[in-house]
Amino acid sequence: MVLAANLLSANVGLVIWLTVVFLALLLLLRRYAWGPITAALSEREKTISASMNRAEEVLAESRRIQESNQQARREAEQDAQRLLREAHEEAQRIRDREAQRTQEEITAMREQAREEIERDKERALQALRSEVSDLAILAAEKVLQENLDTSRQRALVNRFIDGLTSRGGSNQPPYQA
Amino acid sequence: MRPVRRFTYLLFLTVFWPPMSVLAAEDGEFDAVHHTADAYYLDFLPIGKVELPRIFILRSESDGYGLRVFRSTKNALQSNELAAEFVINKDTTIYAPGDSLQALIDKGKHLDAKLIPISDQSAIILDLSMTKHLVFALLASGILLAIFVQLANRYKRGIGRTSAPRGLVQNLFETLVIFVRDDIAVPNLGKQHYQRFLPYLLTAFFFILTCNLLGLVPFGATATSNLNITAVLAAFTFVLTQTNGSKDHWRHVFWPPGMPVLVKILLIPTEIMGLFTKPIALAIRLFANLTAGHLVILSLIGMIFTFTNLFGEAVGYGVVPISLGFTLFVMCLEVLIAFIQAYIFTILSALFIGMAIAEHSHSEAH
Repeated sequence: MVLAANLLSANVGLVIWLTVVFLALLLLLRRYAWGPITAALSEREKTISASMNRAEEVLAESRRIQESNQQARREAEQDAQRLLREAHEEAQRIRDREAQRTQEEITAMREQAREEIERDKERALQALRSEVSDLAILAAEKVLQENLDTSRQRALVNRFIDGLTSRGGSNQPPYQA
Repeated sequence: MRPVRRFTYLLFLTVFWPPMSVLAAEDGEFDAVHHTADAYYLDFLPIGKVELPRIFILRSESDGYGLRVFRSTKNALQSNELAAEFVINKDTTIYAPGDSLQALIDKGKHLDAKLIPISDQSAIILDLSMTKHLVFALLASGILLAIFVQLANRYKRGIGRTSAPRGLVQNLFETLVIFVRDDIAVPNLGKQHYQRFLPYLLTAFFFILTCNLLGLVPFGATATSNLNITAVLAAFTFVLTQTNGSKDHWRHVFWPPGMPVLVKILLIPTEIMGLFTKPIALAIRLFANLTAGHLVILSLIGMIFTFTNLFGEAVGYGVVPISLGFTLFVMCLEVLIAFIQAYIFTILSALFIGMAIAEHSHSEAH
Protein backbone atom coordinates (compact mmCIF):
# COMPACT_ATOMS: atom_id res chain seq x y z
CA MET A 1 0.00 0.00 0.00
CA VAL A 2 1.10 3.54 -0.68
CA LEU A 3 -0.29 4.59 2.62
CA ALA A 4 2.40 2.97 4.67
CA ALA A 5 4.37 6.11 3.97
CA ASN A 6 1.51 8.20 5.29
CA LEU A 7 2.77 8.11 8.86
CA LEU A 8 5.73 10.27 7.91
CA SER A 9 4.35 12.07 4.87
CA ALA A 10 4.38 15.84 4.89
CA ASN A 11 1.11 17.66 4.54
CA VAL A 12 1.62 21.38 3.96
CA GLY A 13 -2.12 22.07 4.13
CA LEU A 14 -2.33 20.46 7.56
CA VAL A 15 0.67 22.46 8.76
CA ILE A 16 -1.00 25.70 7.66
CA TRP A 17 -4.31 24.69 9.21
CA LEU A 18 -2.78 23.69 12.50
CA THR A 19 -0.64 26.82 12.69
CA VAL A 20 -3.79 28.92 12.32
CA VAL A 21 -5.79 26.76 14.72
CA PHE A 22 -3.10 26.62 17.38
CA LEU A 23 -2.33 30.32 17.12
CA ALA A 24 -6.03 31.14 17.44
CA LEU A 25 -6.33 28.76 20.38
CA LEU A 26 -3.30 30.32 22.03
CA LEU A 27 -4.59 33.86 21.61
CA LEU A 28 -8.15 33.04 22.66
CA LEU A 29 -7.08 31.08 25.71
CA ARG A 30 -4.56 33.73 26.68
CA ARG A 31 -7.19 36.45 26.44
CA TYR A 32 -10.20 34.64 27.87
CA ALA A 33 -8.82 31.87 30.04
CA TRP A 34 -5.19 32.01 31.20
CA GLY A 35 -5.29 35.71 31.93
CA PRO A 36 -8.25 35.62 34.31
CA ILE A 37 -7.29 32.27 35.79
CA THR A 38 -3.65 33.06 36.58
CA ALA A 39 -4.61 36.53 37.80
CA ALA A 40 -7.21 35.02 40.12
CA LEU A 41 -4.77 32.41 41.34
CA SER A 42 -2.03 34.89 42.13
CA GLU A 43 -4.58 37.20 43.75
CA ARG A 44 -5.79 34.33 45.92
CA GLU A 45 -2.23 33.36 46.81
CA LYS A 46 -1.43 36.96 47.73
CA THR A 47 -4.57 37.14 49.87
CA ILE A 48 -3.70 33.88 51.60
CA SER A 49 -0.11 34.86 52.27
CA ALA A 50 -1.21 38.31 53.47
CA SER A 51 -3.79 36.69 55.75
CA MET A 52 -1.19 34.34 57.10
CA ASN A 53 1.20 37.19 57.73
CA ARG A 54 -1.55 39.10 59.48
CA ALA A 55 -2.50 36.07 61.54
CA GLU A 56 1.14 35.67 62.44
CA GLU A 57 1.34 39.30 63.52
CA VAL A 58 -1.88 39.07 65.49
CA LEU A 59 -0.60 35.94 67.18
CA ALA A 60 2.65 37.66 68.11
CA GLU A 61 0.68 40.68 69.30
CA SER A 62 -1.62 38.56 71.43
CA ARG A 63 1.39 36.71 72.84
CA ARG A 64 2.89 40.07 73.75
CA ILE A 65 -0.36 41.18 75.35
CA GLN A 66 -0.66 37.93 77.22
CA GLU A 67 2.90 38.32 78.40
CA SER A 68 2.26 41.83 79.65
CA ASN A 69 -0.99 40.69 81.25
CA GLN A 70 0.82 37.97 83.09
CA GLN A 71 3.50 40.44 84.09
CA ALA A 72 0.85 42.82 85.40
CA ARG A 73 -0.91 40.02 87.24
CA ARG A 74 2.33 38.89 88.79
CA GLU A 75 3.05 42.42 89.90
CA ALA A 76 -0.45 42.83 91.27
CA GLU A 77 -0.13 39.58 93.16
CA GLN A 78 3.19 40.67 94.56
CA ASP A 79 1.67 44.03 95.52
CA ALA A 80 -1.25 42.34 97.17
CA GLN A 81 1.03 40.00 99.07
CA ARG A 82 3.23 42.85 100.13
CA LEU A 83 0.22 44.82 101.31
CA LEU A 84 -1.13 41.83 103.16
CA ARG A 85 2.21 41.26 104.79
CA GLU A 86 2.47 44.90 105.76
CA ALA A 87 -1.06 44.85 107.15
CA HIS A 88 -0.23 41.76 109.13
CA GLU A 89 2.90 43.35 110.45
CA GLU A 90 1.05 46.55 111.26
CA ALA A 91 -1.69 44.65 113.03
CA GLN A 92 0.90 42.69 114.96
CA ARG A 93 2.67 45.87 115.90
CA ILE A 94 -0.57 47.48 117.03
CA ARG A 95 -1.52 44.39 118.99
CA ASP A 96 1.89 44.28 120.62
CA ARG A 97 1.75 47.93 121.51
CA GLU A 98 -1.75 47.58 122.88
CA ALA A 99 -0.77 44.57 124.93
CA GLN A 100 2.27 46.34 126.24
CA ARG A 101 0.25 49.38 127.20
CA THR A 102 -2.35 47.23 128.89
CA GLN A 103 0.40 45.44 130.73
CA GLU A 104 1.86 48.74 131.78
CA GLU A 105 -1.50 50.00 132.91
CA ILE A 106 -2.14 46.84 134.85
CA THR A 107 1.27 47.13 136.46
CA ALA A 108 0.69 50.78 137.24
CA MET A 109 -2.71 50.05 138.70
CA ARG A 110 -1.35 47.19 140.77
CA GLU A 111 1.41 49.45 141.96
CA GLN A 112 -1.04 52.14 142.81
CA ALA A 113 -3.23 49.67 144.62
CA ARG A 114 -0.28 48.38 146.60
CA GLU A 115 0.71 51.88 147.55
CA GLU A 116 -2.87 52.60 148.57
CA ILE A 117 -2.94 49.49 150.66
CA GLU A 118 0.39 50.37 152.19
CA ARG A 119 -0.79 53.80 153.01
CA ASP A 120 -4.03 52.52 154.49
CA LYS A 121 -2.14 49.95 156.49
CA GLU A 122 0.23 52.60 157.80
CA ARG A 123 -2.69 54.82 158.71
CA ALA A 124 -4.50 52.00 160.38
CA LEU A 125 -1.38 50.97 162.19
CA GLN A 126 -0.84 54.53 163.33
CA ALA A 127 -4.41 54.74 164.51
CA LEU A 128 -4.17 51.39 166.20
CA ARG A 129 -0.92 52.31 167.82
CA SER A 130 -2.23 55.48 169.33
CA GLU A 131 -5.42 53.70 170.33
CA VAL A 132 -3.55 50.89 171.95
CA SER A 133 -1.15 53.22 173.67
CA ASP A 134 -4.02 55.26 174.95
CA LEU A 135 -5.76 52.14 176.00
CA ALA A 136 -2.69 50.81 177.70
CA ILE A 137 -2.02 54.01 179.45
CA LEU A 138 -5.53 54.07 180.54
CA ALA A 139 -5.39 50.54 181.77
CA ALA A 140 -2.05 51.02 183.36
CA GLU A 141 -3.23 54.13 185.04
CA LYS A 142 -6.04 52.22 186.42
CA VAL A 143 -3.88 49.36 187.62
CA LEU A 144 -0.89 51.22 188.85
CA GLN A 145 -2.32 54.55 189.77
CA GLU A 146 -0.22 55.06 192.79
CA ASN A 147 2.93 53.13 192.29
CA LEU A 148 4.38 54.54 189.31
CA ASP A 149 5.14 57.96 188.15
CA THR A 150 4.12 59.05 184.84
CA SER A 151 7.51 58.99 183.17
CA ARG A 152 8.18 55.39 184.11
CA GLN A 153 4.71 54.41 182.96
CA ARG A 154 5.23 55.95 179.58
CA ALA A 155 8.52 54.20 179.06
CA LEU A 156 6.95 50.92 180.00
CA VAL A 157 4.04 51.36 177.66
CA ASN A 158 6.24 52.36 174.82
CA ARG A 159 8.34 49.26 175.31
CA PHE A 160 5.18 47.21 175.18
CA ILE A 161 3.97 48.83 172.07
CA ASP A 162 7.29 48.33 170.29
CA GLY A 163 7.15 44.70 171.17
CA LEU A 164 3.63 44.58 169.82
CA THR A 165 4.58 46.18 166.54
CA SER A 166 7.57 43.91 165.84
CA ARG A 167 5.50 40.81 166.59
CA GLY A 168 2.36 41.36 164.47
CA GLY A 169 3.42 44.07 161.96
CA SER A 170 3.64 42.09 158.68
CA ASN A 171 1.49 38.99 159.12
CA GLN A 172 -1.75 40.29 160.25
CA PRO A 173 -3.07 43.65 159.43
CA PRO A 174 -3.44 45.25 162.77
CA TYR A 175 -6.87 46.59 161.97
CA GLN A 176 -8.25 43.10 161.65
CA ALA A 177 -7.00 42.03 165.03
CA MET B 1 -19.67 5.19 43.52
CA ARG B 2 -21.17 6.69 40.37
CA PRO B 3 -17.97 8.23 38.96
CA VAL B 4 -16.26 4.89 39.50
CA ARG B 5 -18.94 3.05 37.56
CA ARG B 6 -18.79 5.66 34.81
CA PHE B 7 -15.04 5.18 34.63
CA THR B 8 -15.47 1.42 34.35
CA TYR B 9 -17.86 1.85 31.41
CA LEU B 10 -15.36 4.16 29.77
CA LEU B 11 -12.56 1.67 30.27
CA PHE B 12 -14.74 -1.07 28.83
CA LEU B 13 -15.57 0.98 25.77
CA THR B 14 -11.95 1.91 25.35
CA VAL B 15 -10.75 -1.67 25.47
CA PHE B 16 -13.31 -2.78 22.93
CA TRP B 17 -12.74 0.08 20.57
CA PRO B 18 -9.65 -1.36 18.83
CA PRO B 19 -11.39 -4.69 18.16
CA MET B 20 -14.15 -2.72 16.50
CA SER B 21 -11.76 -1.03 14.14
CA VAL B 22 -10.39 -4.45 13.38
CA LEU B 23 -13.78 -5.38 11.97
CA ALA B 24 -12.66 -3.33 9.01
CA ALA B 25 -9.87 -5.74 8.40
CA GLU B 26 -10.44 -7.15 4.97
CA ASP B 27 -9.76 -10.73 4.05
CA GLY B 28 -8.35 -11.35 7.51
CA GLU B 29 -5.65 -8.80 6.81
CA PHE B 30 -5.23 -5.87 9.06
CA ASP B 31 -3.00 -2.84 8.56
CA ALA B 32 -2.17 -1.19 11.86
CA VAL B 33 -0.30 1.64 10.16
CA HIS B 34 -3.31 2.49 8.06
CA HIS B 35 -5.41 3.00 11.18
CA THR B 36 -2.81 5.14 12.86
CA ALA B 37 -2.03 7.34 9.89
CA ASP B 38 -3.92 10.48 8.97
CA ALA B 39 -6.90 10.18 6.61
CA TYR B 40 -9.49 12.21 4.77
CA TYR B 41 -12.38 10.61 6.65
CA LEU B 42 -13.57 9.89 10.16
CA ASP B 43 -13.81 6.24 11.02
CA PHE B 44 -16.96 5.28 12.92
CA LEU B 45 -16.55 1.57 12.50
CA PRO B 46 -18.58 -0.53 12.34
CA ILE B 47 -21.20 2.13 11.57
CA GLY B 48 -19.40 3.72 8.66
CA LYS B 49 -17.06 6.41 7.47
CA VAL B 50 -17.68 10.13 7.26
CA GLU B 51 -15.76 11.75 4.44
CA LEU B 52 -14.23 15.12 5.19
CA PRO B 53 -14.34 18.19 2.94
CA ARG B 54 -11.56 18.54 0.39
CA ILE B 55 -10.22 22.04 -0.17
CA PHE B 56 -7.72 22.78 -2.94
CA ILE B 57 -6.01 25.84 -4.25
CA LEU B 58 -5.69 25.13 -8.00
CA ARG B 59 -3.90 26.99 -10.67
CA SER B 60 -4.96 26.60 -14.25
CA GLU B 61 -3.49 28.32 -17.26
CA SER B 62 -6.89 29.64 -18.32
CA ASP B 63 -8.36 30.75 -14.98
CA GLY B 64 -5.30 31.46 -12.86
CA TYR B 65 -5.52 30.68 -9.13
CA GLY B 66 -8.76 29.31 -7.78
CA LEU B 67 -10.14 27.83 -4.59
CA ARG B 68 -12.07 24.59 -5.02
CA VAL B 69 -14.07 23.17 -2.14
CA PHE B 70 -15.70 19.73 -2.28
CA ARG B 71 -17.96 18.22 0.33
CA SER B 72 -16.10 14.94 0.19
CA THR B 73 -13.40 13.02 -1.62
CA LYS B 74 -16.16 11.26 -3.57
CA ASN B 75 -17.56 14.59 -4.73
CA ALA B 76 -14.10 15.76 -5.69
CA LEU B 77 -13.52 12.69 -7.82
CA GLN B 78 -16.92 12.93 -9.45
CA SER B 79 -16.45 16.58 -10.31
CA ASN B 80 -14.48 15.81 -13.48
CA GLU B 81 -11.70 18.03 -12.23
CA LEU B 82 -9.67 15.57 -10.19
CA ALA B 83 -8.60 11.98 -10.63
CA ALA B 84 -7.42 9.36 -8.15
CA GLU B 85 -3.82 8.28 -8.45
CA PHE B 86 -2.23 5.24 -6.83
CA VAL B 87 1.48 4.58 -6.86
CA ILE B 88 2.33 1.00 -5.95
CA ASN B 89 5.90 -0.13 -6.45
CA LYS B 90 6.54 2.67 -8.95
CA ASP B 91 3.52 1.59 -11.01
CA THR B 92 1.13 4.47 -11.36
CA THR B 93 -2.58 3.76 -11.75
CA ILE B 94 -4.92 6.64 -12.44
CA TYR B 95 -8.66 6.34 -11.99
CA ALA B 96 -10.50 8.93 -14.05
CA PRO B 97 -14.27 9.37 -13.88
CA GLY B 98 -15.99 6.34 -15.29
CA ASP B 99 -16.78 2.78 -14.35
CA SER B 100 -13.39 2.06 -12.82
CA LEU B 101 -13.71 5.08 -10.53
CA GLN B 102 -17.21 4.02 -9.47
CA ALA B 103 -15.89 0.56 -8.60
CA LEU B 104 -13.10 2.17 -6.59
CA ILE B 105 -15.59 4.32 -4.69
CA ASP B 106 -17.83 1.33 -4.03
CA LYS B 107 -14.89 -0.47 -2.45
CA GLY B 108 -14.07 2.64 -0.41
CA LYS B 109 -10.52 2.65 -1.75
CA HIS B 110 -10.84 6.12 -3.25
CA LEU B 111 -10.15 7.59 0.19
CA ASP B 112 -6.60 6.30 0.09
CA ALA B 113 -5.81 7.81 -3.28
CA LYS B 114 -3.75 10.85 -4.07
CA LEU B 115 -5.83 13.39 -6.00
CA ILE B 116 -4.40 14.94 -9.16
CA PRO B 117 -5.94 17.35 -11.64
CA ILE B 118 -7.31 15.72 -14.76
CA SER B 119 -6.38 18.59 -17.01
CA ASP B 120 -2.71 18.92 -17.84
CA GLN B 121 -3.06 22.67 -17.73
CA SER B 122 -3.97 22.93 -14.07
CA ALA B 123 -2.08 21.99 -10.94
CA ILE B 124 -2.82 21.67 -7.25
CA ILE B 125 -0.88 24.42 -5.52
CA LEU B 126 -2.05 23.62 -2.03
CA ASP B 127 -4.14 20.84 -0.55
CA LEU B 128 -5.98 22.40 2.39
CA SER B 129 -8.24 19.40 2.88
CA MET B 130 -9.61 18.62 6.27
CA THR B 131 -8.07 15.49 7.75
CA LYS B 132 -8.94 13.20 10.64
CA HIS B 133 -6.12 14.57 12.76
CA LEU B 134 -7.06 18.17 11.99
CA VAL B 135 -10.64 17.43 13.06
CA PHE B 136 -9.40 16.03 16.34
CA ALA B 137 -7.04 18.96 16.83
CA LEU B 138 -10.03 21.25 16.31
CA LEU B 139 -12.08 19.14 18.68
CA ALA B 140 -9.34 19.40 21.28
CA SER B 141 -9.24 23.19 20.81
CA GLY B 142 -13.01 23.35 21.21
CA ILE B 143 -12.90 21.26 24.37
CA LEU B 144 -10.11 23.42 25.81
CA LEU B 145 -11.97 26.64 25.02
CA ALA B 146 -15.20 25.27 26.50
CA ILE B 147 -13.51 24.12 29.69
CA PHE B 148 -11.16 26.98 30.34
CA VAL B 149 -13.31 29.92 29.33
CA GLN B 150 -16.00 28.58 31.61
CA LEU B 151 -13.42 28.07 34.32
CA ALA B 152 -12.12 31.62 33.84
CA ASN B 153 -15.68 32.91 34.29
CA ARG B 154 -15.92 31.03 37.55
CA TYR B 155 -12.74 32.74 38.72
CA LYS B 156 -14.09 36.09 37.54
CA ARG B 157 -17.21 35.51 39.64
CA GLY B 158 -14.93 35.10 42.63
CA ILE B 159 -15.05 31.33 43.06
CA GLY B 160 -11.43 30.37 43.49
CA ARG B 161 -10.29 33.99 43.65
CA THR B 162 -11.67 35.10 46.98
CA SER B 163 -12.92 31.69 48.07
CA ALA B 164 -11.66 28.14 47.74
CA PRO B 165 -12.18 26.46 44.33
CA ARG B 166 -15.30 24.32 44.22
CA GLY B 167 -16.09 21.13 42.39
CA LEU B 168 -14.12 18.39 40.70
CA VAL B 169 -13.58 20.23 37.41
CA GLN B 170 -12.20 23.40 38.92
CA ASN B 171 -10.00 21.61 41.43
CA LEU B 172 -8.65 19.20 38.82
CA PHE B 173 -7.75 21.83 36.25
CA GLU B 174 -6.49 24.27 38.84
CA THR B 175 -4.09 21.61 40.08
CA LEU B 176 -2.80 21.11 36.53
CA VAL B 177 -2.54 24.85 35.85
CA ILE B 178 -0.61 25.39 39.08
CA PHE B 179 1.56 22.38 38.25
CA VAL B 180 2.48 23.89 34.86
CA ARG B 181 3.14 27.25 36.48
CA ASP B 182 5.10 26.16 39.56
CA ASP B 183 6.85 23.02 38.34
CA ILE B 184 7.41 23.80 34.66
CA ALA B 185 7.38 27.55 34.00
CA VAL B 186 8.88 29.07 37.15
CA PRO B 187 11.87 26.71 37.65
CA ASN B 188 12.94 26.93 33.99
CA LEU B 189 12.15 30.53 33.13
CA GLY B 190 12.71 32.30 36.42
CA LYS B 191 10.35 34.38 38.49
CA GLN B 192 10.60 37.56 36.41
CA HIS B 193 10.14 36.03 32.94
CA TYR B 194 7.76 33.13 33.41
CA GLN B 195 4.57 35.15 33.07
CA ARG B 196 5.40 36.05 29.48
CA PHE B 197 5.58 32.40 28.39
CA LEU B 198 3.05 30.83 30.75
CA PRO B 199 0.09 31.19 28.31
CA TYR B 200 2.03 29.33 25.62
CA LEU B 201 3.18 26.59 27.98
CA LEU B 202 -0.33 26.12 29.36
CA THR B 203 -1.84 26.01 25.88
CA ALA B 204 0.77 23.55 24.63
CA PHE B 205 0.40 21.33 27.68
CA PHE B 206 -3.37 21.14 27.62
CA PHE B 207 -3.61 20.92 23.83
CA ILE B 208 -1.16 18.02 23.66
CA LEU B 209 -2.76 16.32 26.65
CA THR B 210 -6.24 16.62 25.16
CA CYS B 211 -5.09 15.39 21.76
CA ASN B 212 -3.32 12.45 23.40
CA LEU B 213 -6.36 11.50 25.43
CA LEU B 214 -8.73 11.89 22.47
CA GLY B 215 -6.76 9.10 20.81
CA LEU B 216 -7.81 6.75 23.60
CA VAL B 217 -11.50 7.51 23.23
CA PRO B 218 -13.59 5.17 21.06
CA PHE B 219 -13.70 6.40 17.45
CA GLY B 220 -11.03 8.89 18.39
CA ALA B 221 -7.75 9.66 16.67
CA THR B 222 -4.52 11.03 18.03
CA ALA B 223 -3.66 14.32 16.39
CA THR B 224 -0.28 14.24 18.14
CA SER B 225 0.63 11.01 16.36
CA ASN B 226 0.98 13.10 13.20
CA LEU B 227 4.44 14.44 12.50
CA ASN B 228 3.05 17.54 10.75
CA ILE B 229 1.15 18.50 13.86
CA THR B 230 3.98 17.87 16.31
CA ALA B 231 6.26 19.79 13.95
CA VAL B 232 3.96 22.83 14.12
CA LEU B 233 3.95 22.66 17.91
CA ALA B 234 7.73 22.34 17.99
CA ALA B 235 7.97 25.24 15.54
CA PHE B 236 6.07 27.43 17.99
CA THR B 237 8.63 26.59 20.66
CA PHE B 238 11.44 27.23 18.18
CA VAL B 239 10.08 30.64 17.17
CA LEU B 240 9.48 31.64 20.79
CA THR B 241 12.97 30.50 21.71
CA GLN B 242 14.76 32.36 18.93
CA THR B 243 12.71 35.56 19.05
CA ASN B 244 13.33 35.89 22.77
CA GLY B 245 16.99 34.89 22.70
CA SER B 246 19.25 37.10 24.76
CA LYS B 247 22.54 38.55 23.57
CA ASP B 248 24.28 35.76 25.48
CA HIS B 249 22.27 33.14 23.61
CA TRP B 250 23.37 34.43 20.21
CA ARG B 251 26.96 34.94 21.28
CA HIS B 252 27.01 31.32 22.39
CA VAL B 253 25.87 30.25 18.95
CA PHE B 254 28.06 32.44 16.77
CA TRP B 255 31.16 33.02 18.90
CA PRO B 256 31.24 30.55 21.79
CA PRO B 257 33.26 32.21 24.56
CA GLY B 258 36.12 30.77 26.51
CA MET B 259 37.83 28.54 23.95
CA PRO B 260 40.50 28.69 21.21
CA VAL B 261 39.51 30.09 17.83
CA LEU B 262 39.96 26.74 16.08
CA VAL B 263 37.55 25.08 18.45
CA LYS B 264 35.17 27.97 17.95
CA ILE B 265 35.17 27.37 14.21
CA LEU B 266 34.34 23.74 14.86
CA LEU B 267 31.68 24.60 17.38
CA ILE B 268 29.76 27.24 15.44
CA PRO B 269 28.18 24.82 12.93
CA THR B 270 27.40 22.43 15.77
CA GLU B 271 25.71 25.22 17.73
CA ILE B 272 23.70 26.30 14.70
CA MET B 273 22.62 22.69 14.16
CA GLY B 274 21.76 22.54 17.85
CA LEU B 275 19.24 25.33 17.39
CA PHE B 276 17.27 23.10 15.04
CA THR B 277 17.86 19.67 16.54
CA LYS B 278 16.14 20.69 19.75
CA PRO B 279 12.71 21.42 18.22
CA ILE B 280 13.11 18.52 15.77
CA ALA B 281 13.71 16.21 18.71
CA LEU B 282 10.62 17.69 20.38
CA ALA B 283 8.48 16.98 17.33
CA ILE B 284 9.81 13.46 16.75
CA ARG B 285 9.64 12.46 20.40
CA LEU B 286 5.99 13.40 20.74
CA PHE B 287 5.04 11.87 17.38
CA ALA B 288 6.95 8.65 17.97
CA ASN B 289 5.64 8.08 21.48
CA LEU B 290 2.03 8.56 20.52
CA THR B 291 2.31 6.59 17.30
CA ALA B 292 4.18 3.73 18.91
CA GLY B 293 1.54 3.26 21.59
CA HIS B 294 -1.20 2.95 18.99
CA LEU B 295 0.82 0.67 16.78
CA VAL B 296 1.49 -1.60 19.76
CA ILE B 297 -2.21 -1.73 20.65
CA LEU B 298 -3.25 -2.43 17.09
CA SER B 299 -0.51 -5.02 16.69
CA LEU B 300 -1.65 -6.80 19.82
CA ILE B 301 -5.17 -6.90 18.39
CA GLY B 302 -3.68 -7.97 15.05
CA MET B 303 -2.17 -10.97 16.79
CA ILE B 304 -5.65 -12.49 16.90
CA PHE B 305 -5.86 -12.37 13.08
CA THR B 306 -2.31 -13.55 12.56
CA PHE B 307 -2.84 -16.56 14.79
CA THR B 308 -6.18 -17.31 13.15
CA ASN B 309 -4.54 -17.26 9.71
CA LEU B 310 -1.59 -19.35 10.82
CA PHE B 311 -3.12 -21.96 13.12
CA GLY B 312 -6.85 -21.84 12.58
CA GLU B 313 -9.84 -20.30 14.25
CA ALA B 314 -9.58 -22.16 17.56
CA VAL B 315 -6.11 -20.85 18.28
CA GLY B 316 -7.33 -17.41 17.22
CA TYR B 317 -10.07 -17.52 19.86
CA GLY B 318 -7.55 -18.75 22.40
CA VAL B 319 -5.34 -15.77 21.76
CA VAL B 320 -8.20 -13.32 22.35
CA PRO B 321 -7.95 -13.10 26.18
CA ILE B 322 -4.16 -12.79 26.08
CA SER B 323 -4.35 -10.19 23.37
CA LEU B 324 -7.05 -8.16 25.15
CA GLY B 325 -5.23 -8.42 28.45
CA PHE B 326 -2.10 -6.94 26.93
CA THR B 327 -4.22 -4.34 25.14
CA LEU B 328 -5.73 -3.24 28.44
CA PHE B 329 -2.27 -3.00 29.94
CA VAL B 330 -0.92 -0.93 27.05
CA MET B 331 -4.05 1.26 27.14
CA CYS B 332 -3.34 2.09 30.78
CA LEU B 333 0.25 2.77 29.81
CA GLU B 334 -1.07 5.05 27.05
CA VAL B 335 -3.01 7.12 29.57
CA LEU B 336 0.22 7.54 31.51
CA ILE B 337 2.13 8.37 28.32
CA ALA B 338 -0.53 10.94 27.37
CA PHE B 339 0.31 12.88 30.52
CA ILE B 340 4.05 12.22 30.45
CA GLN B 341 4.50 13.35 26.85
CA ALA B 342 2.45 16.51 27.39
CA TYR B 343 4.64 17.19 30.41
CA ILE B 344 7.88 16.46 28.59
CA PHE B 345 7.03 18.61 25.60
CA THR B 346 6.08 21.49 27.87
CA ILE B 347 9.02 21.25 30.24
CA LEU B 348 11.51 20.94 27.38
CA SER B 349 9.93 23.96 25.68
CA ALA B 350 10.26 25.87 28.93
CA LEU B 351 13.84 24.68 29.29
CA PHE B 352 14.83 25.73 25.75
CA ILE B 353 13.18 29.12 26.12
CA GLY B 354 14.72 29.51 29.56
CA MET B 355 18.19 28.72 28.20
CA ALA B 356 17.77 31.23 25.40
CA ILE B 357 16.51 34.11 27.56
CA ALA B 358 19.07 33.56 30.30
CA GLU B 359 21.72 36.21 30.69
CA HIS B 360 24.79 35.12 32.54
CA SER B 361 28.35 36.21 32.92
CA HIS B 362 30.97 34.15 31.14
CA SER B 363 33.27 33.85 34.04
CA GLU B 364 30.92 31.06 35.06
CA ALA B 365 31.92 27.53 34.20
CA HIS B 366 30.01 25.93 31.39
